Amino acid sequence: MYNLQTGEEASAGRAEAEPNSDQGRMSPTAPAPDDVGVALLVEAGAVLATSLELTTTMEQVAGLTVPRLADICVIDLHNDDGTIMEVAVAAADPGIAAEIEAMRRRHPLDPDGEHPVARVLRSGESLLLAHMTDMLMASFAQGSEHAKFMIDHRYRSAVVAPLNARGRTLGTLSMLRLGECVPYSGSDLDLASELARRAASAIDNAHLFSEVRQVEERLAAILVNLAEAITLIDEQGRMVFANQAAADLLGVSSPTELMEAVPGTIMDRFLVLDEHGAELALEDMPSRRLFAGEHPEPLLVRNIVRATGEERWLIVRSSVVTDPDSGRVLYAVNVFENITEVKRAQLAESFMAEASRVLVSSNDYRGALEQIARLAVPQIADWCSVDLVGEDGGIERVAVHHADPDRLALAERLHRDYPPTVEDPLGAPEVIRTGQARIYTAIMPEQYAAYAQDAEHLELLNAIGATAAIIVPVAASARTIGAITFGSSGSIRRLSHADLTLAERLGRRAGTAVESARLYTERTRIANILGEALLPESLPEVAGAEIEALHQAAGELNDVGGDFYDVLAYGADRWLLVIGDVCGKGPRAAGVTALARHTLRTAAMLGQTPSGMLDTLHEALRRQPAGADLCTVCLVTYERLAAAARLTVALAGHPPPLVIGADGRRRNIGKPGTLLGVLDPVDIKEVQAELYPGETLLLYTDGLPEAGGSADPTLGERNLLEHAAEASHVSLGGLLERIAQAAVRRTDGKLRDDIALLGLRLVENGGVGES
Amino acid sequence: MAAADQLRIGVRREDGRVFFALDGELDMASAPLLQSALESAELEPDDMVVLDLAQLQFIDSTGLRGLLAAREYASERGHEFAVTPGTQQVQRLLSVTGVAEHLRTLAS
Repeated sequence: MYNLQTGEEASAGRAEAEPNSDQGRMSPTAPAPDDVGVALLVEAGAVLATSLELTTTMEQVAGLTVPRLADICVIDLHNDDGTIMEVAVAAADPGIAAEIEAMRRRHPLDPDGEHPVARVLRSGESLLLAHMTDMLMASFAQGSEHAKFMIDHRYRSAVVAPLNARGRTLGTLSMLRLGECVPYSGSDLDLASELARRAASAIDNAHLFSEVRQVEERLAAILVNLAEAITLIDEQGRMVFANQAAADLLGVSSPTELMEAVPGTIMDRFLVLDEHGAELALEDMPSRRLFAGEHPEPLLVRNIVRATGEERWLIVRSSVVTDPDSGRVLYAVNVFENITEVKRAQLAESFMAEASRVLVSSNDYRGALEQIARLAVPQIADWCSVDLVGEDGGIERVAVHHADPDRLALAERLHRDYPPTVEDPLGAPEVIRTGQARIYTAIMPEQYAAYAQDAEHLELLNAIGATAAIIVPVAASARTIGAITFGSSGSIRRLSHADLTLAERLGRRAGTAVESARLYTERTRIANILGEALLPESLPEVAGAEIEALHQAAGELNDVGGDFYDVLAYGADRWLLVIGDVCGKGPRAAGVTALARHTLRTAAMLGQTPSGMLDTLHEALRRQPAGADLCTVCLVTYERLAAAARLTVALAGHPPPLVIGADGRRRNIGKPGTLLGVLDPVDIKEVQAELYPGETLLLYTDGLPEAGGSADPTLGERNLLEHAAEASHVSLGGLLERIAQAAVRRTDGKLRDDIALLGLRLVENGGVGES
Repeated sequence: MAAADQLRIGVRREDGRVFFALDGELDMASAPLLQSALESAELEPDDMVVLDLAQLQFIDSTGLRGLLAAREYASERGHEFAVTPGTQQVQRLLSVTGVAEHLRTLAS
């Protein structure tokens, strides 16, 4: 404890308390000291317990002492940079408080100086200045203006107590009495010290709080800005955090509205189905299952907005936040990834693949079109009908199907009693006449009235209750030979422009099938129709790389082979490259090929690892009824980093991909793994590798190494190597062409097997984070 | 080229092992020959079925399926199944596809 001994003033410190202490401790305006002390500490306790906002709290603490114990109370804090900052001033005269604040701003206290606040900050011990003389004040003033200020305001007696917490002095609490007053004594110092200690503890907590809050705020800022919808659910099922993306997804205006909703009420707005259409309950959600102690996998959910019929596909992932001490699950963090576009595209692809298979499975195109109408319901629409132009030029209903048997009967009656003619202004006749697809996203009952020929017609139309329709031409060459109609009725389903695109594709393919049935040999017909389903129509852009693919079918008849390749973006900055070979040729192999492509796509979207995706495909092949469907796959994930790309290679019975350096050197990457569909267990090893700018990654099917056939089994491989040497001199597309042409030449134009090549070349300076 | 010209199958019996020596090419056209050779062989209950691949010049993925179908045919009937080492191309395909690990290979 400091004693300030200047000779001019009274001694300081508890040991030298004023003799007439009982009276002396009393401020001119204060009641009995013990009561004051107890009351003060009780009030301080209340203040310190209620607020964690530092400045406010300190102002309240300072205010408690005035006027009962002091004329002026100042609280200063030690900044991290060593400077002294006044945080609170209370004074009986508010004018003085403002002046002190201004003074401190103009003349900050020198931390190394002699001002009592600076000294207490350094020592951590309290200081009593019972009688301050003008000379003493001048000695520690921060300049003459400061000295004059203290003297003019008649500073007389002071106590300065340190704000000590956890061994650190955070600041000081100073009390001052002015003019003719009772000087402070040791017991005042005790009280000030106690008050300061409590305030310090509160400040310390506030600091901790603000550190935690800063971390939380930073985290919240990240979550708020994420494009993915995120919610945080507590044990009671209450939503304690949601970002704007979550609000948008769940159809409310703000995260607050979401958090204020009664648990479960939000989910009631949606029809929540699993991948296979079975309705899910709240208990099936990953977050609920986490609280139930399970470890749920990401859940693929089909979510339909009850009010509008809008359909979304979501992947729901949940993880836990646990109490670090008890390990108890505190929160479940839900991340919703909206994969509607991807899933729709995938459903569309698999519908197209299936429709294509149907179209080639028989020479009877009428039968095939009937099957397609059944396939489309309920997957694509509630009802589907196909009309073709007959030989007599009239409109012939070839197929009709409806999810609801009653409505199907009504639709058949409608067609029988009110048969469409080519002159009809609307519907299939219009589309057949114009060759232009039509979409009706919302059909109103009034529109039936305008269209109906008589009361009975109107009654039928009302009973069928179509709410939306898409009509597309069945086109062959440049002629429109019919129309396919997809419709909604009796459900909340919506038909979108994405559905229109799909329907138009189906119309074209059906047209090809119908025309091919008349014109071509069966094999060519199959090849024409199926070929489209097996290979991607275009390759996506891959960040930082160029990408090319080549497919060369074997055989004079352009028979459908089982080679396939695929490239898809999944996740924010990852791509999946796939090349594979399904055993055999013809429609059956084509069916397995389509299955392989779509299974791998789905598995990738579900976030599976490369070996996981291959396992999934293996299981899917094993479930195929006929069995022994055999398939080899090379799968590479691609992730562009700043200076290179990271590859993960997984091989299932497929030759390893080749990396060709800019200098022509080459290396294989990957470890052999079991082919899929026939042998259990499959053993797949993932291998990581890096691809650098200028390097080319080449995926190929085994048709290539065997291009030489029995005469020279390794000719194909040698062919690959020869071209690798010149790879850096030609474009990527040119390289693939050369390899394929050489393989064809070396087999005298009789390839034994298809050739599929998928090449990716890393471009210079194309990396993420580079300019 | 007819399938029979592509692949000749010689059957011989040695110490409880029935060897099916494949000479030529095993692919989509010839794979059914292997199946019918197996079906027409008079196998005793304890016989081991051995595909002799020493003279097999070429095998493709359909041929591989034929080979695995033979393996399944044998194991369904309680016969042990093995192969002998094949030519370079054959061995290469068996190892790339991971099939080699699932096959018992007899020393030639």
